[in-house]
Order: sequence, then structure tokens, then C-alpha cells
Amino acid sequence: MDITGTFQYEEDAISAAQGLHAAGIKNVSLMSPIPMHAAEKALGLGKSNVRKFTLIGAILGGLGGFSMCVATALVFIMPTGGRAIIALPPYLLITYETTILIGVLSTLVGFFLVAKLPAWKNRPYRVEANVNRFVVAVESPSSNEVKKAEQIIRGAGALGIEQTGGTL
Amino acid sequence: MVMKKLFDHGEPSYEQVNQDVIKSLIETGPKYWMLLATTVGITVVCFIVPWMYQIHMGVGVAGMNRNAVWGTYLSNFIFWIGLSHSGTLLSAVLHITQSDWRKSIYRSAEAMTLFSLMVAATFVMVHVGRLWFIHWSFPIPNPMGLWPNFRSPIMFDVMAITTYLTASSIFIYMGSVPDFAAVRDYSSGLRRRIYTVLSFGWRGTSKEWHTLGWAYTFFAVLVIPLAVSVHSIVSWDFALSTVPGLHQTIFAPYFVCGAIYSGTAGIVTVMYCLRRFLGFERYIGKIHVDYLGKLLIALSMIWTYINIMELFTGWYSGSSAEIEFLKFRLFGFYAPMYWEMILFCAFVPLLMLFKSVRLNWNRMLVISILINIGMLSERFIIVSTSLPRKLLPDSYGFYFPSPAEISITVGSFAMFATLFLIFIKVFPAVSIYEVKETLNPLRRAEKT
Repeated sequence: MDITGTFQYEEDAISAAQGLHAAGIKNVSLMSPIPMHAAEKALGLGKSNVRKFTLIGAILGGLGGFSMCVATALVFIMPTGGRAIIALPPYLLITYETTILIGVLSTLVGFFLVAKLPAWKNRPYRVEANVNRFVVAVESPSSNEVKKAEQIIRGAGALGIEQTGGTL
Repeated sequence: MVMKKLFDHGEPSYEQVNQDVIKSLIETGPKYWMLLATTVGITVVCFIVPWMYQIHMGVGVAGMNRNAVWGTYLSNFIFWIGLSHSGTLLSAVLHITQSDWRKSIYRSAEAMTLFSLMVAATFVMVHVGRLWFIHWSFPIPNPMGLWPNFRSPIMFDVMAITTYLTASSIFIYMGSVPDFAAVRDYSSGLRRRIYTVLSFGWRGTSKEWHTLGWAYTFFAVLVIPLAVSVHSIVSWDFALSTVPGLHQTIFAPYFVCGAIYSGTAGIVTVMYCLRRFLGFERYIGKIHVDYLGKLLIALSMIWTYINIMELFTGWYSGSSAEIEFLKFRLFGFYAPMYWEMILFCAFVPLLMLFKSVRLNWNRMLVISILINIGMLSERFIIVSTSLPRKLLPDSYGFYFPSPAEISITVGSFAMFATLFLIFIKVFPAVSIYEVKETLNPLRRAEKT
């Protein structure tokens, strides 16, 4: 069983989520139709780990691209008019492209891992959260948490509370 | 600073945004199907059939010959790559600069990028003739033991376009995930199952928004230099040769500027169609056409300056080969096309200096189409007036497109239209959540 509370205003939903966290209730999620920058601060969501994926991916992409060019040049030696076998200007272009290619792909992987998506399993959800309402959900609370959670959500000004909620 | 109104007909409600955008996806009338059938028909007849004929007969059915080894296929390739430039680039730049007017137009602009790139990549396949060997140009093992030479500008192209296509696809898809979830919530049956998969189970939690925000910004930051690099690299396909008219240091900025110019004009055309045929007048309004018009004026001036410089450097070099090439371009067989390009891309855009022109969608549609006709001519002239005038007179030649090439060119526009028509029924053409971000926030403080 899950609990969902629907809110009309952003501040109320944030205050409910903060109250639930303060009460030590786990598995709380706050859903909204648009990004809530105030909520990110209030819920302590700082710098995302996605940036690490981007950085590491870009570095590996750059190194991989450059290594591929150098290895190609050393395996298939093509002396051209006394020019260097390992020609930096053209190889830097390839390096640049692979840096971005692997950077983008690793950012994508980072997004999925950090946001824990895809997730098609049943989780608390209400359709209004994608239209014009804010929804605070508590996933599988323990029996002694249920009452406390409902009290906090109601106290924050929820329009309605459902014990089963809509599921995705 | 005076903030301009984002919505001409009043601000919609949050529910209204969902309804308007999703309606454009799920309500499909007979006109849409007729239009789709027409574009598919033209694509098959004008593009696929001549291409199959060319594959069967050999690339000799095209007008390319011993001296003019590149022709319409290559000029179309540059045109479509160019058209792809503004969508993702403009979207990324405006995302970084947090410009609100971007939010209702960027999704379709990015789609334009993606489909232009696909059409451009198809032209490479058409151009190479023996399509079944195209995988030799990628660094993947093959039975012949061949491996690409990374010193070749053609390889720069392969890497740049592959990267741009991948990055643009991811950029548009990731930005659409929350909107796929909105469509999922409105749908039932098979459509719901499809959008459940497409949205990855998105619920719009703070954690999901936060992660998407970071990832999307990184995509934007990575895509901006990439877009600039792609058309610079395309320009080096030409500029790294020693052919008069192509061997120019100004080619990279020339191509990038031309690409953004034609791409921005393309966005105006696409936005006109979205307003007219999908009823997005409420979301795409005066502010968009005004800003796009101003951008077009600026780009037209930069483009004109670079064109003048191109002529000047050729003349100032004193090289007889360069001067011969200039004579051929300015007064030769293709001179009318050159002057048409100057008229459409350097003079016609000046009309947008008048606000009455800039704020009128019909006039802007005409100007945007003329600009792109001019830009298509520009790409054709670059290829067809330089290669037939190489350094020695005994290598002079002439190029004129064959019926197969002309037909494939016409078909490419139908192919683009087909892809776009499919897009508007799969992707929300206007970003639901980003438009909502520009509305009155759902905060108690703002309401009381």
C-alpha cells in the first residue's frame, strides 16, 4: 500500500515532503508537472552525479579516438611527402568528435543510472502530477508510519489523500 | 528591459497546454493521411525509384563526369547538413542562455535538425554509388581487412556526422521523455503501452527532473561546439583540396554561417506550418517570428560579407586560375543562378528590417523559402562552378544535373516532409513541460 497526497501549490508540497523526511519516513517522492528548483534545494539535491559520467566519458572518448588514429597510423604506415606518420592536426579532429560522442553517450547512461530509469514496475503515481498538481507519495510505509504520514500531508494543505493512489 | 509577451492570445492554463499538444498527436483527420500518402508517393517515385535505377545501372546515370566528379548529390548533401544546423544549435544556445521564447519552438526545430541530417546521410549513400560498401568508411572490421585513413577529410565527415546524428537524436529524445509520459497518461490501449515504454516510466519526481536538468544541460554544452565543428568539417571536404574556388581559408566560417542561415530560415518555414496546420497559433506567435527575423537579418549580413570577401580574395590573389574561376562563376553558364542567390540571400532579407514584414507570418514564409532556394543554389554553385575550372585548361569541363539527379533532389524534400509528418504524430511537436515553465507558476506566493 502506498500513500499519495495531491497539492495545488508548490510550497505546500515541498513542506509536506520536508516534514516526511524530518519524521524519518523513507521512500518519499515529490512529483510535479514542471521542474521544481525550490524543491531540489529543499530536498538537498545538490550537484548531480551525471556530471561525473560526462567527464569520464568525454576523457575516455578523447583518449580512445586519439589512440585509434595513432594505432591506425602505426599499423598502416603511409609516408606522404615526408610528413609525420602521426599527424596531429587531423587526429585532433577525430579526437574531438569521439570526445563528444562518448561524452554524450555516457551522459545518457549516467541519466538512466542516476534517475533510476527505465522503471516500468508499479510505483505510486497520480496523473495530475503531469498536468497541474503536485503529488507527494510515500511508497510502502510501515503500519506505524501510515497515520503519521497522512497527518503530515494533510497538515501541509493537501487537496486529497489516497491510500492506494494511482499506480504507474 | 521590457519583456515581450510570449503568448499572443493570452496565457493558456496548464491543462490547456496538455490538451492542445496531445490533441495534435491523437486527432488525425483525412487531410493528414492524404498529405502523408502524397509525400510518401513522391518519395518513392522521385527518390527511391531513380536511386534503385542508379544502383542497377551504375552511377553513370548521374551527370557527374571525369572533370566534374561531384555534382548535385554532394551539393544537396551540404544543403541538408546546413539545414540541420539551426535546430539543435539554436535550441542548445537558447537553453544555456535560458531564453523563454525558445520553449515552444525548440522541439520541432530539433526534429528539423534530425530529419535534415538523415536526408543528408542518405545523399552520401546515393553519391557513393556502390552502397553496399559504405560500411568500409567506418572503423569497423570487415572481410577485406580495410581500415579508414583518418587523415582524410572524408573520414572527418564520417566521424562528425555520426556524432552529430547520435547527439541530436539523444538531445531531442531526452527532452521529450516528460512529454511522452503526459501522452501516456492521456492514452489507452496500444498507444498507452507504446508511450509507457517511450517515457521509461517517468513520473516527474524531483530526482528525475533534477537529473534530467543536469543531463540536458550537458547535452546542450556538448552539442554547441559539435554543431560548429560539423559544418566546418564539411567545408574542409572542399577547402583542403587545391581546386580554385574551393581552396579557401574562409570556407569554415562561410559554411557554418550559411548553415545557420538556411537552418533558421527553415525553422521559420516549419513554424509557419505548425501554426497553420496544427493550430499552434497560441504557442508560436509574434515574439518568435520577430526574433527569428532579426536573427536572419544578422546572418544575412554576415553571409553577404563573407561572399564579398570570397570574391575579393580570389581577385586579389592575382592567380590566373582563380580569376578564370571567378569569371566562370560570375558570368558563365551558372551566372543567373549565382545572381539569383545574391538576390534571395543578400537583398530580399533586408525587407525584414521593416517590422511590418517581420511580424507577418505570410511574408516571412515567402522570405524563408526564398532564402533556402538561394542557399540551395549556393551549394550547387560551389560544386558545379569550381570543379569544371581546375588549374589547367585541359581539365576544364562542364556539369549539368541528369534527370535522375533532379528527380532525387525533388524526392529528398518529400522524404523530409514524410519524416516530419510522422514526427508530429509521435512526438509532441511543442514541448508541454517547457511551455508550462513559462506560465504563471503554481505557487501560493504568486496567487495571493
